[in-house]
Amino acid sequence: MTKGNRSSVFKKKTTPYLYLLPTIILMLILLIIPIIMVVRYSFYDNVIINKNPVFVGLENFKKIITDSTFLAAIKNTFIFVSVSVVAHLIIGICFAMLLNTRYLGNKTKGIFRVIYVLPWMFTASVIAILWKMMLNPNGIVNYLLQFFNLTSQNIEWLGSRKFALLAVTFINIWSGYPFYMISVLAGLQGISTDLYEASSLDGANAVQTFFRITIPQLKPILISLIMLDFVWTIQQFALIWMTTGGGPINATETLSTYIYKQGFSKYQYSMASASAVIVLIICTIIAIFYVRHQKARD
Amino acid sequence: MIGKKKWYVKVLIIIALLVGAFYAAFPILWMFLNSFKPNSEIFAWPPTWISERFSFDAYKAIFQSPDQIRFFINSYVIAGTVVVFTLVIGILAAYAFSRFDFPGKSIINTLIVSVQAVPPITLLIPYLSLIVTLKLYNTYWALILTYMLFTLPYAILMTTGYFNTLPKDLDEAVMIDGGSRFKALWRILVPTAIPGLVSVGMYTFMQAWNEYLFALALTKTNNMRTVPVGINLLMGQHAYEWNQMMAMSVLGSLPVLILFLFFQRYFIAGMTAGSVKN
Amino acid sequence: MKLRMAMKKVFTVSLAGAVVLSLTACGSPKEKKKVDGGTSTSSASNPSDEGGGKEVTLEFQQWWGVELPDGALAEVCQEFTDKTGIKIELLSNPYADTKTQIAAGAAAGTMADVVGLDGSWVYDFAKQGSIANLTDAMKDVGYDDSQLSDQIKYEGNTYMIPVVNFAYPMYVNMDILNAAGVSKIPTTWTEFQDACKAVKEYDSSIAGWAIPLSTESPSGIQNQFMSWLWASGGSMLTDNNKPNLTGNSDLEKTVEFVKELDEAGVIAEGAYSMKEPDMVEEFTNGRVAFMTDGISHLTTIRKEAPDLNFDIVKLPVMEGFTGQSGMDVANWGIGIAENCENKKEAWQFVEYLMSPEVNAKLSELANAFPGNSKAEPDYSKSDELFQKTYDLFQECYAVNEFTGLPTSEELMRTFDEQLQLYLDGDTSSAADMLKAVQEIWEPAFE
Repeated sequence: MTKGNRSSVFKKKTTPYLYLLPTIILMLILLIIPIIMVVRYSFYDNVIINKNPVFVGLENFKKIITDSTFLAAIKNTFIFVSVSVVAHLIIGICFAMLLNTRYLGNKTKGIFRVIYVLPWMFTASVIAILWKMMLNPNGIVNYLLQFFNLTSQNIEWLGSRKFALLAVTFINIWSGYPFYMISVLAGLQGISTDLYEASSLDGANAVQTFFRITIPQLKPILISLIMLDFVWTIQQFALIWMTTGGGPINATETLSTYIYKQGFSKYQYSMASASAVIVLIICTIIAIFYVRHQKARD
Repeated sequence: MIGKKKWYVKVLIIIALLVGAFYAAFPILWMFLNSFKPNSEIFAWPPTWISERFSFDAYKAIFQSPDQIRFFINSYVIAGTVVVFTLVIGILAAYAFSRFDFPGKSIINTLIVSVQAVPPITLLIPYLSLIVTLKLYNTYWALILTYMLFTLPYAILMTTGYFNTLPKDLDEAVMIDGGSRFKALWRILVPTAIPGLVSVGMYTFMQAWNEYLFALALTKTNNMRTVPVGINLLMGQHAYEWNQMMAMSVLGSLPVLILFLFFQRYFIAGMTAGSVKN
Repeated sequence: MKLRMAMKKVFTVSLAGAVVLSLTACGSPKEKKKVDGGTSTSSASNPSDEGGGKEVTLEFQQWWGVELPDGALAEVCQEFTDKTGIKIELLSNPYADTKTQIAAGAAAGTMADVVGLDGSWVYDFAKQGSIANLTDAMKDVGYDDSQLSDQIKYEGNTYMIPVVNFAYPMYVNMDILNAAGVSKIPTTWTEFQDACKAVKEYDSSIAGWAIPLSTESPSGIQNQFMSWLWASGGSMLTDNNKPNLTGNSDLEKTVEFVKELDEAGVIAEGAYSMKEPDMVEEFTNGRVAFMTDGISHLTTIRKEAPDLNFDIVKLPVMEGFTGQSGMDVANWGIGIAENCENKKEAWQFVEYLMSPEVNAKLSELANAFPGNSKAEPDYSKSDELFQKTYDLFQECYAVNEFTGLPTSEELMRTFDEQLQLYLDGDTSSAADMLKAVQEIWEPAFE
């Protein structure tokens, strides 16, 4: 603007990049390179096993897309992810509202808050081991169901095609809702009480207030949560692998277990890479939507 | 009249809270109880709640094993370092996003966000080759850098959010007084954003503490192993040490729980700040 | 001016980071050594060749340390170090984790020097060129391989040597059988089915038999399914080791036999998500009358259920079969990584583990049978049932047709899935099921 400020203009131009430099270096080296490698693998014929892999173009992708197990994996992943996200949302909001009630003292609420957040404290492998133990046909879950006369025989939660996907999804719901709950709780506490007072002056009942005030106020936070959760749930591997291994047959096969099996059981690294590339594309599209949304929010 | 209504609403809420608490905490209670049982009683039918052969053997076994203790130390060192570095680098990047307009901003931002969409398993094999080439295989740094990769995007996003809620006048005031941007960032913005940073830090710690697949693939020797891999170590080809696994799970989750207890106020406040930036 | 300040600050921070980085790296010298392990060993291997006295450390990755009594494997290795000065660093992990690590190591060239191998992995790692040709290693030192009871080969060369073998006989819970009024231990399939049904009639909460069919670790196919076929002298392969499933009447009968058991409701619940340890848990808790299981479990079962009254017998055979039975074996095999810098020393270590005395000792520790035919383990202190198994084992021939097959684990997994489809009624006949498996298997053998 003023005279002799050329260096200042230069400064203005370079400073932000300087601040970003560590992030960019880290990502370039550790992320972009592997991504390029995976994309490259996906166009070659059985890399790593073959010492001199041949370029095969889209051959691997053709094979993957026509593989019935892959299609089943897509379907299961879709069910697993969408049911998890919706349930997380509902449970998260319900628990957050319970914890935000004005009918109870802060101490009581504090205790329940800690109890409710417990499932979040455990790593996926622990959760898998714990639920595998509980959902064993002779485990505590079947015992309790029979004790309360809810079922007459042992249910093979993880061992039957009918229940396995449901059971795995249930476990994932249990382990993932606290993040929603905490975020929504934070959002609720940020809503101005004036809005509620105005609403009650208008004679609105609790349900009306919920849909007219609470939900619209939480909307931005909820949309971010849904998108983040979507991406995180697609990535879920340890939980499924350590409970069902994708079985019975392919009842719980998801994209991540499919990729793992291609790589570590069949040693088809090219096929694994090709399916990885497909997942990458799906997730990147979601990420772009997320950024768009973020921008629209600002 | 209102008093009456309040009374039954309160009862309903308490019932709902208890049902919810059962759902949330029963599995963990069960884990806790099982950690005191002898292994053969885990699947007893009908189940035993408190075993007649109640013992701390499983815990003793863990504390007496130098390997297991090493796993805890490793996990602390790695998760702690990841938190520090993620916060420092994340704050720098978030500052750039929050206070500057520059060409390529939205592209870089999109890229960073997309990063958290990359399913880690897709990159495992090439990533492993890269780590070997960089001579980082089987070191703390292999895991630290990897976890930073997973945690940075979220940290940058959230921190940018908090910084956006802080008025620009704050740092401009410092700059007018002759301070540098850098000073404005560390003296003013960062202290003001502490609640938000705590919640980012906690999230980061949990991610780093809990990761399993890369911890398994990028390390080789027991002195580099972390807690989640250590828990699996108790799962033999032929037999499971259920009680020890449960004990180790309880112990492995304690640090995270304690952190949460300490910081939950900040944590929720931080998230509130991030969520209502408008 | 301000820019310079800002830059300075950024650099200070990154410099500080670098300092912390290097400090931490130095703080743990062991880790530092690991960092450049890849190159330093290569430079260190030269002086070792010239000087001869230079210290060599071999990494030995396996799951055995987890299975053996605490510290037993370390002790065996320490004796080797005392003798030769070659240090052994044990990398012990559970079976599944070891497999992931070795597979990842094979892809990235970070495999440990000496690796524990399962017969089902050999083909793939040998084909990848990530494990070393042991035939060459034996030739180099003029090793007499006639004492080895078995060698697992790929294209005519040995890549894995079984160190110890675990037989898979049938465990029988005698209390359950007595209570159910089964006086004679079944020796044929029909008798076995009848016994299972009697058990079920006696107490519907007790299962006759258990089979772990989890697709995460599909080894139930070799150990609990194919063991039936092998015990009755059948085979799933042709003479030149190609799949022979379509129209294999022995195998059809075996599939149908398991289906009949399933339809009679005598198989333990949760088979499709069950793994071997889960099955043992069922047996230990007295909820299943029979199980086909490795003799290695004997100690675990004795420890967990000291009062359990059980016996060990040969697997019942198909009606009318009178020949010699095959007994399923699993083994702990050993191999050397191709990327190992000290192959000579690595072979020395393998030779040590295979030497009659050490091999006998390992067998005693692991409740297993030795891989060296000259080893004479002293089982006198072992469980009497172990002795009995050893006698039964001598009557049979050792067999495991999955050993050394291409993508062996995947073959078991696909067989597993097709078996589940058949048991669930999705596939109409055993013949169709086997035909389907044959079609899935064939490409792997091309």
